[in-house]
Amino acid sequence: MPAPAPPLHPARVAAAGPVQRDRGPRAPGPLRRAAPLVTLLALAACGDDPATKPGATDTAAEPRGPAPEVAPGSPALRRLTLSQYTHAIRDLFAADLYIPQLEPDNDVEGLLSLGASTTSVSAYGVELYETAALTIAEQVVETPDALGALLSCTPSGAGDVACAAEVLGALGHRAWRRSLTDDEVSRLADLAVAVGTADGSFNAGLMYGIAAILQSPNFLYRVEHGEGDGPVRPLTGHELATRLSFLLWNSIPDEALLAAAADGSLLTDAGLEAEARRLLADPRASDGVRNLFEEVYHLYHMDSLVKDPLVFTYASPELGQSAREETLLSIEALVLGDGGDFRELFTTQRTFVDRRLAALYGVPAVTPEGFGEVTLPDDGGRRGLFGQASFLLLQSHATSSSATRRGKFIRTVVLCQDIPAPPADVDTAIPEADATSPTLRQRLETHLTNPSCAGCHTLTDPIGLGFENFDGIARWRTTENGATIDASGDLDGVPFADAWELGEVVAQHERVGPCMTRHLYRYGTGRLESSGEQPLLDWLSDGFARSGYRFSDLLVDTVLSDGFRTVGELQ
Amino acid sequence: MSTDDRWARRLSWLWRPDPRGPRPAPRLAAPSPALQLGARPPAFAPSRRGLLRGALGGVPVAVGLPWLEIFAGRTARAETLYPVRFGVWFWGNGVRPEQWIPAGEGVGDAWALSEELAALANVKSKISVASGFAVKVPNYIPHWSGAGGLLTGLDAVGDDEDWTVQGPTIDQILAGEIGTTTIFSSLEVGVDTNEIFSFTGPNARNPAETDPLTLYERIFGPTFREPGEGGAVDPRLGYRRSVLDGVMGDVDALKAQLGASDRVRLEAHLDGLRTLEQRLARLQEDPPDLESCTRPDEPDSVYPDVDGRMQITARAQALHDVMAMALACDQTRVFSFQLSRPVANLLFPGSPDGHHNLTHDEPSPQPEVHAITMQIIAELGYFLEKLDSIPEGDETLLDHCGILCTSEHGEARTHAITDIPIVIAGGAGGALQTDVHYRSYTDENVGKVTLTLLRAMGLNATSWGAGDTYTTDGLSVLER
Repeated sequence: MPAPAPPLHPARVAAAGPVQRDRGPRAPGPLRRAAPLVTLLALAACGDDPATKPGATDTAAEPRGPAPEVAPGSPALRRLTLSQYTHAIRDLFAADLYIPQLEPDNDVEGLLSLGASTTSVSAYGVELYETAALTIAEQVVETPDALGALLSCTPSGAGDVACAAEVLGALGHRAWRRSLTDDEVSRLADLAVAVGTADGSFNAGLMYGIAAILQSPNFLYRVEHGEGDGPVRPLTGHELATRLSFLLWNSIPDEALLAAAADGSLLTDAGLEAEARRLLADPRASDGVRNLFEEVYHLYHMDSLVKDPLVFTYASPELGQSAREETLLSIEALVLGDGGDFRELFTTQRTFVDRRLAALYGVPAVTPEGFGEVTLPDDGGRRGLFGQASFLLLQSHATSSSATRRGKFIRTVVLCQDIPAPPADVDTAIPEADATSPTLRQRLETHLTNPSCAGCHTLTDPIGLGFENFDGIARWRTTENGATIDASGDLDGVPFADAWELGEVVAQHERVGPCMTRHLYRYGTGRLESSGEQPLLDWLSDGFARSGYRFSDLLVDTVLSDGFRTVGELQ
Repeated sequence: MSTDDRWARRLSWLWRPDPRGPRPAPRLAAPSPALQLGARPPAFAPSRRGLLRGALGGVPVAVGLPWLEIFAGRTARAETLYPVRFGVWFWGNGVRPEQWIPAGEGVGDAWALSEELAALANVKSKISVASGFAVKVPNYIPHWSGAGGLLTGLDAVGDDEDWTVQGPTIDQILAGEIGTTTIFSSLEVGVDTNEIFSFTGPNARNPAETDPLTLYERIFGPTFREPGEGGAVDPRLGYRRSVLDGVMGDVDALKAQLGASDRVRLEAHLDGLRTLEQRLARLQEDPPDLESCTRPDEPDSVYPDVDGRMQITARAQALHDVMAMALACDQTRVFSFQLSRPVANLLFPGSPDGHHNLTHDEPSPQPEVHAITMQIIAELGYFLEKLDSIPEGDETLLDHCGILCTSEHGEARTHAITDIPIVIAGGAGGALQTDVHYRSYTDENVGKVTLTLLRAMGLNATSWGAGDTYTTDGLSVLER
């Protein structure tokens, strides 16, 4: 793996600043630091004038240069994540099938996609793959619709090896995302016919043939070997098709994409762009976008949300699911819909609520069932991703809010800055609320005055305290223990009065674009970027800014880049 | 002739001799780095320590020289009729050391259970406690450094967002040694999460089963047969083996296209396939004849949260019941049970906040944290009493176990990895002294306890750990 090996004995980093992983400029420039907030807000209110976008302002004068040379990292064997497996099964078989549990995904650097190319499957995981394959295959042969869609021939009997070969060869082509060799097809057909003959039915044999396809590493892993043996190896058409469809659909390629891979058109710029745009226009692009942001914003943690219902009477097991759906719907609307400025995610008043969230937010429910679009009120204090329950709930404790967690999320996930873990052996107790320190801001003062805490907490807490008007379950409040909450602060020198303004300040931060670019690149390639890819990431970020932060442009730009189409040497 | 024999004969091409020779071949590619073995007592099956592998920072791990240090060590434990079982019983977030460490030192009446250990009163004569021990690794990843050092003998590496172990955990080392003849080489069970601290190597975690009914069906489902239960062998076991045979061929073909670190990952997949194939083969054989083995009652299928809180006790007891019978039926000899993970923020009944939050936010002496520890040890007490209620000859199943019960911290408030809580439950078939409290006043290496347990399981281990965790000494007061 190209992951930088962590030092075995890192020195204590109590007073260290955020560590920049990439080489972009770090601190906001003096110009931005001096810009009064009112100016920023006024500029933002002007709409999509590119001059209001810091990235665009810096670069608009010069034309965009050609993409830099890329020295791609080594290829990584990528195991399907749970959601990829599920979508692949849905697309392979024309039926709604029950999928038993599988080994859980692991995240690396927050992304399950990186975990899927780093971790090994356990023996139990292999057992679960077997159970799942047999369970799915059994349902397929017992579900008339699914079986009918699969059976392109009419078997003459349990021993019809030609028909078994035809059916399993076609299924294998979709599932393994490539053409099978004659030997592979005949081994599958022989297995099916042998079992079928022993069991007295063609379908019984077919079931085991299907199970063999689904248990095969050719289905469960994505191989990205590339052509040739050089340091920069173009992916084969089929490898590229697979990378593309998992990025944009979170699932296997369809027949058209496999055909473009087979005839070579996918390996041309025009052919690749045409396929990328076709996939983006397909309803399945929704699955791709949802999964991307599910990983980037750690929404997969919503399943294990712990909230104390005695403290938070709005807590319920379903609340986490509602909150996740709200965030995914708003991202879909922004990214797939009219293709607006991605950074509006942090400032938009448009969101989607069900009755549970409507009650939590204090807005009218627009639909008795499911989710409906609402515009949050101008004076409600709540807008954008950081006003959504998913962020506010997840970055809180079971019984209270957490300025540290919320601030850390902004730093690490939205701005891609590293915050070191707290040192061991320190007393981390936060004082109980009392008459002299009723608010969290007061109770956290030790974080900012004790030098062994302050190094990191000055990076997180002042931002996180900006969200203190939202309690640990995302309810709006103006007081804590009777005292008025002060939610003001500054982010890297840009002041804000409350969460409403903080959303805008984050949106205007120069690292938002590069950070999203990096998330997408890691997600798409399944590995951490190598140092030889940093110039490309900078170039992609610049393009993102020039496009007015249109996310679909970033997607296509990334797909067309050599970083997405090549791999480095085997390691 | 069994059904399967007929099947095999008819489809003999499926069982053609493997050109690679008999499987599983013992491989020494990536031995357990923390453990050194001396000459193996002849009674032992070939090692499967080839299982213990992984890739760390792209480099396949191949540390240690397990066969270098050969010495004529102690003789193998006297064979009894009953297998010796090993387990790890783990909970997260440590204890309150003042209320954990027992009063008095020595054997029997010389020591008394502490407040936090009181729930083990009915099995006091069958457990020992070691206090004052420390995990001798640098403590720079809160929770994970302690857990890694404790269970692998090596530092955990990375940071709190992205860390892994450098070697296999002790349960997996023993799974490769004493787990090679049972249906399951090891069982991993978790109450709060499937992410338990059991690894076969770096980035190779063993997920746990958390659902009692699924655990039951996995072990006691249709393929399980009680001792003496006859009947035809299910022909589907043979079909499934045929499928696995083809899949293993696919893995071999794929491996050729990969770099070294990915080959290691695919090799782990292959190991899983071999394990599964062996299990299917054993299921075609007659079940072991053990007097106390019966199919247990089916557990409840759902455990809905009560007032938004997990039913920890109901779930833990149901899982413990299934595990106890899995051991009694010799379905496995190695388990790793996790009541709660490191950093677990479980809401225990009656508790005002999540466990982890309380360890940090509650002012000393942390009565709520103490109350949670009491609840945790009560779950352990239930399990140990359950094991002790299952007769095996003149003794009980508990007498034939050696269970390491521990947590990643002493006092979690400060992330301390001194005063690690250690209970060793069971006499390991006579290899372990029980009813002992040994108190160290010098922060002794907790690896001594680990080494003693490895030896009690019959391993001729000469050392455990590396660097500061390295030890060649066990805890002699516990050894018999």
